[in-house]
Amino acid sequence: MAEQTLPELIADVTGLGTYGVAGEFLAAFLGAFVIGSIMLSYTGVAGPWAKRKITAAFTDRYAVNRIGPFGLLIIVADAVRLLSKELIIPEDVDRPAFDLAPIVLAGSAMLGFAFIPMGSIFGINMQIADPESGLAFVFAIASVATLGLAMAGYASSNKYSFMGMLRAIAQNIAYEIPLVLTAASVVLFAGSLQMSEIVAAQTLGGGTEPLFAIGGLEIPPWFAFVNPFAFVLFVIANLAEVGRNPFDIPEAPTEIVAGYQTEYSSVYFVLMYLGEFLHIFLGGAIGATVFLGGPAGPVLPGFVWFTIKIWAFFLFTQWARSAVPRVRIDQLIDIGWKGMLELSFANLILTAILVGVIV
Amino acid sequence: MSLERPQDTALDAEGDVDPQAILDLLGDRVLDTEEHLNADQSVVVRPDAVEETLLALRDEAGFDHCSCVTAQEYEDRYESIYHLKQYDDPTNEVSVVVPAAKDDPVSESGNAAYRTCDWHEREAYDLVGINYENHPDLKRILLPENWQGHPLSMDYDQDRPQVVTLGEHDNPLKDDHRDSDSDTMFLNIGPHHPATHGVLHVKTVLDGETVADVESDIGYLHRCEEQMAQNGTYRHQIMPYPDRWDYVSAGLLNEYAYARVAEDLADIEVPEYAQVIRTMGAELCRIAAHMLALGTFALDVYGDFTAIFQYAFRDREVVQKILEDLTGQRMMFNYFRLGGVAWDLPEPREDFFELTRDFLDGLPGKLEEYHDLITSNEIFQLRCVDTGILEPEVAKSYGATGPVARASGVDYDVRRDDPYGYYDELDWDVVTEDGKDNYARVLTRMQEVEESAKIIQQCVDLLEEWPEDERTIQSNVPRTLKPENDTETYRAVEAAKGELGIYMRADGTDKPARFKIRSPSFSNLQTLPEMAQGEYIPDLVASLGSLDIVLGEVDR
Repeated sequence: MAEQTLPELIADVTGLGTYGVAGEFLAAFLGAFVIGSIMLSYTGVAGPWAKRKITAAFTDRYAVNRIGPFGLLIIVADAVRLLSKELIIPEDVDRPAFDLAPIVLAGSAMLGFAFIPMGSIFGINMQIADPESGLAFVFAIASVATLGLAMAGYASSNKYSFMGMLRAIAQNIAYEIPLVLTAASVVLFAGSLQMSEIVAAQTLGGGTEPLFAIGGLEIPPWFAFVNPFAFVLFVIANLAEVGRNPFDIPEAPTEIVAGYQTEYSSVYFVLMYLGEFLHIFLGGAIGATVFLGGPAGPVLPGFVWFTIKIWAFFLFTQWARSAVPRVRIDQLIDIGWKGMLELSFANLILTAILVGVIV
Repeated sequence: MSLERPQDTALDAEGDVDPQAILDLLGDRVLDTEEHLNADQSVVVRPDAVEETLLALRDEAGFDHCSCVTAQEYEDRYESIYHLKQYDDPTNEVSVVVPAAKDDPVSESGNAAYRTCDWHEREAYDLVGINYENHPDLKRILLPENWQGHPLSMDYDQDRPQVVTLGEHDNPLKDDHRDSDSDTMFLNIGPHHPATHGVLHVKTVLDGETVADVESDIGYLHRCEEQMAQNGTYRHQIMPYPDRWDYVSAGLLNEYAYARVAEDLADIEVPEYAQVIRTMGAELCRIAAHMLALGTFALDVYGDFTAIFQYAFRDREVVQKILEDLTGQRMMFNYFRLGGVAWDLPEPREDFFELTRDFLDGLPGKLEEYHDLITSNEIFQLRCVDTGILEPEVAKSYGATGPVARASGVDYDVRRDDPYGYYDELDWDVVTEDGKDNYARVLTRMQEVEESAKIIQQCVDLLEEWPEDERTIQSNVPRTLKPENDTETYRAVEAAKGELGIYMRADGTDKPARFKIRSPSFSNLQTLPEMAQGEYIPDLVASLGSLDIVLGEVDR
């Protein structure tokens, strides 16, 4: 049976559980607050500091190194800078859609983390909710971001924003389907949409056999090892989903300035960027959960492993950004509908046949 | 006249222009002849016979390259000069001089013969004030629409308000592009846009993501370079300006243009030793300029400050260091002097040679790395191969030169075809590609870097061996230069972007009476619509990047 989730634990420890629905709500709120703070601080580190340091390493530069150790305090300086800038709202924008878009973007990504099993640390299970339809729910919520993009692009009343929006929507539709289909092939293996079950199916012990063993080293049955093909498909589709090279078409700085976020400044800009980085982490979290055994790993606590895995995904996106050219919009759509979609369907059907025959 | 002369050319047996054949060909369209130092024949033709004259010279005499159109005003007349050349042999030059009446300066447009006349004549109209009949779209090009008067004309009054408000002027915004039935979108790309490499304004009409129409709007960086040069003395006051035309590290190449034309006009000899130093410096600049072109093109295609951009800049920095050691400056070198260079190689010479040699030795490895990173990358090829096609005939008609023309298979390089400096003594090749696309233009530049390295290598060898007592860096040039009245010449060199030419006319004083710059970027940029129409926006951006324009040189 699934472990006790974070809000349940909080309710138990604080005694909030005895206050009925209101207590449960408060406990859930506190749980969400904890998870949200963690993810936001990851993003805070990733945006102003890690991204710069990583791309600098790839491109033979130093990046931030003046403020604090390793330049880490640039995070504080940047926070002050970004928040104190003037918020410019063009005259013709369509409010309140213009104001809501950044919130929808950042919020949808944040919501996704509610269902991710982040493993336990100090005996606390870092998962807010574990519904039986967990995976479907995560994808559903993550794709709400497309709505945010549409709002931002349309409401900005700027031609570049508009084109960025059209591109973003075309891209997300083209790549969302392969993304979900590859994840569905994993569901066939795990036999459940519940996130904790998917993780359990990849974690050694408790009835799960190792995939194979090399000289006493047991390789866990992570789905990335069971079905590497699906993993590769997922990683590619995920790059498109989070809009990083070679698929950073919706922003495409040298073509359409900044795409849907052209007109956003100051705090709105921060929220937009926050949403983007959260999405990268959410993509990483889904990938880690579905293909890399979630928090599973030796020696270190599960939550630490989970953190390492999502940062590895982040590192990968930055690597792609530093080294790979951007494809053209028509090529992107071609790859999506003519390549990825077929391959992911083939993968799903093959997996279904294999699972049906073997199990 | 030679008996062997082919029927459709005006060349004699040696391949040189036969001045009499030109006159025969043009018949009664010719009013008079003139003396231009550069040209084999300069004909004065009737202002209403420009089109047929140019067509005849293009089709029947093989002058397929309209290098430049110079306009100027005399006391008694206006004048447009079409500097014609042949792509096969640019030493075959003919100047077509078209006078226009002082009170009503009108002459026929040459646009039907050479597409490049479009912009050149617009510039002549804008700055000098000659009206060209049958021009497809005669309007200002460098100055704003609401500018008053023509600044290079003689009666131009600088005390009068130069710009009036749009309301007083015929409002250029009155043609609103909104049309309820239209399914295209008008998009202003620039003047502030990440991909325009400066202040270029590209008026684009989009049909979805497809580019339906492109029109470049230039002039945002116009700094009156020609007029400033006309107000400077030949000897010292003009040389600093060329550095500011193509200002991204091509400085010495630009200085070479002025040095060549002025030394031609005033008949100045340059010591051989100085020529070797000049050639080496110029090629160092070419490497630096091409590295920048490569890096920024990658930036346009990759979309971010990626590895290749930084690598190109890292390696360019080494060249900058060498140039800094040589000239004392990083950007505005001001190193050439008429008759030589400002000073000898820096002491200790061994250190300078070692630095240069280290760079040259490391270069093949660096280029290998670039090829691994970009040209052999499948996505890069997907983006660049067969996009932005520029047919050689179109390139010629627009007067495209440099890597842009050579990537379309036009085998034209002023360094080889009209040699100057020390180039004809050295062993190197002109790079051409047949791809005609964005990819070919990148490849051309990368290979030209290799060729430049070969030239520098040979120059370093020569300089190292040069006997110490023969190191003359400047010939004896008079303090004040006053070339004879009415000597005119047009001379070009191969700058980083192509043929950089200067027309100068002396009036007997120590300042040029007319100083006209033919910038390669100006002509190359004209080809953008040919490359971009019907393609996607990303290809438009890639094509613009592959043209490698510098707005300082386009707008002057």
